[in-house]
Parts: sequence; C-alpha cells; structure tokens
Amino acid sequence: MDERLDFDVYEVFAQSDSLSPHVHVFNVLASSPDMAMALAEENFFRRAEFVSLWVVRRDQIHQIGFHDREGFQKTPKAYRTTDDYKYLRDKWRYYRDHPMNPDGSPAAGGTVDGTMDD
Amino acid sequence: MLEETLTDQEAYFLERVDRGDRIEADDWMPEDYRQQLVRLIAMHAVSEIMGALPEKEWVPRAPTLYRKLAITAKVQDEVGHGQLLIRVAEDLMRPWGKNREDIMDDLFTGRLKYHNVFHMATPTWADAGVIGWLVDGAAVITQGMSLSCSYAPYARALQRIVEEEGFHIQHGESICMALAEGTPMQRAMLQDALNRWWPALLMFFGPPEKNQLSTHQLRNIRYRIRSKTNEELRQRFFSKYVHRIWSLGLTIPDPTLYQDPVTKEWTYAQPDWEEFRQIVNNRGPRSEARLGLRSTTYQEGEWVRRTIALSPTAG
Amino acid sequence: MERWTIEDVAQNPERRQLAAELLWQLADDDLLMGFRDQEWLGLAPHIEEDVAFGSIGQEEIGHAALYFGILERLGFGTADDLASLRSVSERRNSVLIEQPNGPGHYLESPRYEWAWTIVRHYLHDVWEMALLTALTGSVFEPLGDAAEKILREKRYHLAHQELWMRTMAGHDADSRVRLEDAWRRAQDWAGDLADLGPYSSALESAGLCPGVDSVVRHYHERVAEMARVLGLPEMRMQTRENGRRGEHTEALQQALDTLSEVYRLDPTANW
Ligand SMILES: [Fe+2]
Ligand SMILES: [Fe+2]
Repeated sequence: MDERLDFDVYEVFAQSDSLSPHVHVFNVLASSPDMAMALAEENFFRRAEFVSLWVVRRDQIHQIGFHDREGFQKTPKAYRTTDDYKYLRDKWRYYRDHPMNPDGSPAAGGTVDGTMDD
Repeated sequence: MLEETLTDQEAYFLERVDRGDRIEADDWMPEDYRQQLVRLIAMHAVSEIMGALPEKEWVPRAPTLYRKLAITAKVQDEVGHGQLLIRVAEDLMRPWGKNREDIMDDLFTGRLKYHNVFHMATPTWADAGVIGWLVDGAAVITQGMSLSCSYAPYARALQRIVEEEGFHIQHGESICMALAEGTPMQRAMLQDALNRWWPALLMFFGPPEKNQLSTHQLRNIRYRIRSKTNEELRQRFFSKYVHRIWSLGLTIPDPTLYQDPVTKEWTYAQPDWEEFRQIVNNRGPRSEARLGLRSTTYQEGEWVRRTIALSPTAG
Repeated sequence: MERWTIEDVAQNPERRQLAAELLWQLADDDLLMGFRDQEWLGLAPHIEEDVAFGSIGQEEIGHAALYFGILERLGFGTADDLASLRSVSERRNSVLIEQPNGPGHYLESPRYEWAWTIVRHYLHDVWEMALLTALTGSVFEPLGDAAEKILREKRYHLAHQELWMRTMAGHDADSRVRLEDAWRRAQDWAGDLADLGPYSSALESAGLCPGVDSVVRHYHERVAEMARVLGLPEMRMQTRENGRRGEHTEALQQALDTLSEVYRLDPTANW
C-alpha cells in the first residue's frame, strides 16, 4: 500500500473523582483535540465515570529515554517507607503496659493510664 | 461577602460549597475565597520550605548511614510539599499576575509568615527526632482536617502530603525510641529536646478561641476551607501523644497537665502567647538566621532560575 | 569464569587487602559526594530541582552504604564505624570530591556555586560509570552485583548533570561564563579522580577490576566529547594532593568532623 491516511495519536488522561489524580487511560487516533475527547468518552467511558478528561497530542509528551526500562529500576529504598518501622507498633504496646522510669529502667508494674490512639 | 447581598453567582458558589462540591482552579470563585485560599496555602507552602531547614541542619550530621538516608528522604519530602503547595498557590494567583517569586519575596520581607515551630533552634540530634515525631504529628492533625477542604487542588496536594507524613512520624518515633532505650546521655538528650519543644508544640495550633472566632476563621469555616478550631485540634494532639510520651518515662514540662476522666478534656498550662506573636513575626530564636540563609541562597540561585525560565524577566 | 564469594576473599589475606583498596575508593567517593550534595538540600536554586537533586545525593550515600557493607562482611568493622571513624589519611576519595560546594558553611551564609556543583558531579558520574561498567565483570561477585545495581541509578545521575551543563552552556553569556569558570577550576583538582592508585595493576591482574586502561580511556573520551559538543576548552587535569594515596586537603577534615559529629558522641550506642 503506497498511500495511507495519517492521524495524530492523542493520549487520554482521566480523573475518576475530584480527589484523584488524572490517570493515563489509553489513546485514540483523531484529527483534533475536540475529536479526541469525543472519541475517548465513547471508547473508554461507556461504563466507568469520570469528572475530568484531558487529551494530549502524543508528540507533546516528553519522556525519559534510556532506550530500555532498566533505567527506571532503583536500588531498594526501605529508608523511604515505613517498612523498616513495623517493630514500633509492638514497642508502643509493650511500653504502654510496661512504662519506663525516668532513668529509662523498666517500671516494676502498672500501666500508663489511658489509651493511646494509633 | 455578606450573605444578604449575594449576587446570583456568589449564591450559586456557596450552594456548591454547602453541598460538598469541590472547587477547581478554573471554576468561578468569589475574590474573597481566592484571597483566603492564597493566604492559607502560601503560608502553608513557605512553612514547608522553611520547615525543611531545622531538620536539614542535621542531615549531613545524622549518626548512621541508615539515619542519613532516612532523614534525607524526610527533609526532601518537606521540600516536595513546598513544591506541591506553591504550585497550588501560584495557579490561584495567576489572575493577579503573580507567581512564586512574589511568594518568596513576601516571605523574605516579612509580609508572609511561617509556622512558629520552624523559628526554633535545633541544637541536638534529638531535636531532629522530636520534630519528626511530634511536630509532624501535630501537623498531620491540622492537615488531616484540611483534607475536606472545598478547594480540590489543595485537598489533592494534602492527600499526597498526609500520606508521606505517616513515614515522617514513624521516622521520628524511631529516632526517639532509640534514644529512649539508649544510654543515659541519649535519654537526657531526648528529655532536653522535649522540654525545649513542648511550648512550641502547644503554640503550633494557635491561641485558644474561647468561643470567639476571628473573622478569618469564620470565613474559612463558611467556605469549608477549615472545619475545626485551634483548641479542638490541640485537644486531639494531647489525646494522641501524651500517653505515648509518658510511656517512654519522659517528663512533660507541665505539672498541671491533666485529662478529665469523664469529659476527656485536657487542662494544661498556657504557653506564653505574647512570645508566640513575637516568634511568628520573625523575632524567634532562629528566625533571622534561617530567613537569612534562605534568602541568600535564593538570591545566589537567581541566575540558575533564569536559565530555565521561559524568557528572562525584566527587572 | 572464576568468581570469588565473600568467604573466598575474607579468608585470603592478599585478596582481602586488594579488594579493600578498591572498595575504599568507591565508598569514600560516594560518601563524600553524597555529603556535599546533602549540604544543598533545602537550598537549591529551583524548588523542583531541590527535590530532584536531593534524590541524587541520597542515592550516593546509599551506594556508599553498599560498598561499606561489603567491607563489613570482609571483616573490616561495621559499616557505620568505617564511614564515620576512619581518619583523613585512611580515606581514599578523590580530592576533587571533598572540595566544598563554594565558600561558606552550610549552616551560615553558604555561597554555593551551582555550575561548580554540576561540573564536579558530572566528572564523578562519568568516572563511576566507566569504572562500574568494568566492575560488572569483576572476579569478586558481590562487587560485580553491586556495580550492576548502582549503574542503573548512575545513568540517571549522569543524564541529569549533562542536561544542566547543556542548559548552562546554551542559555546566555552569564551562564556560559559560570560554566566555563567551573570547568577550568575542576581541572585543577580532577587529576586523582580517574586514578586507581598504587594498586592499579594488581587490581587488574587479580581480575578485581578488568581493563583498567580502557576504563581510564573511556572516561577521558567521554569528557573530551562533552567539551567538544559544548565548545569548552580541553580539560587538562592536574593532580595536587592524591586522595587515592591518602593525601587530602583541609576540606576533608571539616567534612568528616561534620558527618561524624553525632556518631562520635558514642560510637557504641544504638542511634
Ligand atoms: Fe510536610
Ligand atoms: Fe512532614
């Protein structure tokens, strides 16, 4: 085939409720932003709802290019998350029942009155 | 904006707010609403930006490799919160022809205030722990309230922020717990830091209202920008943290602190509210030094910002 | 191919000492690089950049922790002791990396220089890229594995510094002068960076670092190519103090005092 029709690709982003971020949904072939929006609604939101919809011509999207996906892999980063702090829960529970003395030594008995919210 | 003399547009706007609609940046809004939002969000933004600095003092000095990594992540998040909020504020200021340059300028000239806690000194590593545990703990109580804010871009930013605060608090708890379980020197360091921070933590929520809300507060409640009073938030802070502090054998420097077993209401010694006013007016222990640090580096970086701006700005 | 495990190296005094010579350089470079980056945190010129650069500095410290972790497993002491308690003369980082970001202390009126920060970091990244690429083929398995992991982040770091160099080179006369000035100053310090020190040939023949000469060549070629693209003068790297031989400047002592200040209060305590 020597001659073919050419289209712009539009990437579609939608927001499911006003507290959510716009999330990439899929793409459509269209000749203009207006057409892209119209097509996107019908193609992707026949059942699901959205409160906002964006379309962006694909050549207007710039992305990090390392030629492969390896560039996005990171060394483990437990220090950015609460994963390493799971032990705290047990400790708080323990000290609620066995509060320390002012010098840091364990108290003989008794508990700190009241409850601690988590 | 008096309710009796509303235009149709204003009445419709309040109707939206009343039914819990979220307002977006390009929706019509009363000028008064925009002003209240900018006042609040710009203040929040610069509080995050200046709030990075007290702990940042301990970033290069954090004791272990692990703590160095974790506190960098924490302080970096705070700068990131500044970024989210300053973007929200900038979009609101667009119709006035203003942007983040104006916000930073207002910060440096004292027209825009930042939270009292970030004017305080952080002389030891334990201060970095107490900030993470209790200052972020206090902040998450006020920010949690604002998640229901009628302005959607702010609520969205806060949702991301509050999620990260969960990590911040546990990061702070972990530092404080290690000190509490540690050597006498470490425990003393922690107790000292708590003594230093206690009044500032109480001040963080603002003066108690005693049934007299300011006009700003009343408007913000009317617009569903905020929903709780200073005193309600402070009471929540006590309930959440006092028992935990005691359980580590630490002494809270207020012998009158007491929770009524029936009403659950806390009574406490009022911090010096005159001192609070001095502090937030940039006359706190570290106000001048930190503002100096931030404005010097901001000026030094001007040429760098010019290289990435759309076109060189005049003047 | 022969591959050495931790035990193979820990139990062979010659291998252990040789592997350590290389690991000190890697660990100390990244620790000091991360330290210098951390001084910027909260103070970078553009707020979005502050967050981005914060990650780079943090990853440098993370990489240092990986290298110190290998040294710990080889029985040299705990990673935190190695990071905090070794004296200046025991450090093997390049003197380029220990230089301050600019005049002033990070707590009081720092006059940090962005162009210098980027150029110095760029040179570090090019060197580490070249070296780590070779180390993926190291006979010492844990080192090869670490190199592979770290390389992924290095590519991003290098891309970041190159982007800033292009931006500064292309914006206007002022930014270009600053870049050129930083470029010229870097050559006064950069000599010991692409140098594996007195054990260079032993590292190669043991297979710990394959192809030392081509690593060094790759580094110089990449820097020369950058100079050509941006129209910068050829970089003539000078060696003054040689950090790979334990020779350092005053700046290192100050940095070490700061980074170990809390830990030294009680190195046996749990922090
Ligand atoms: Fe924050
Ligand atoms: Fe926080």
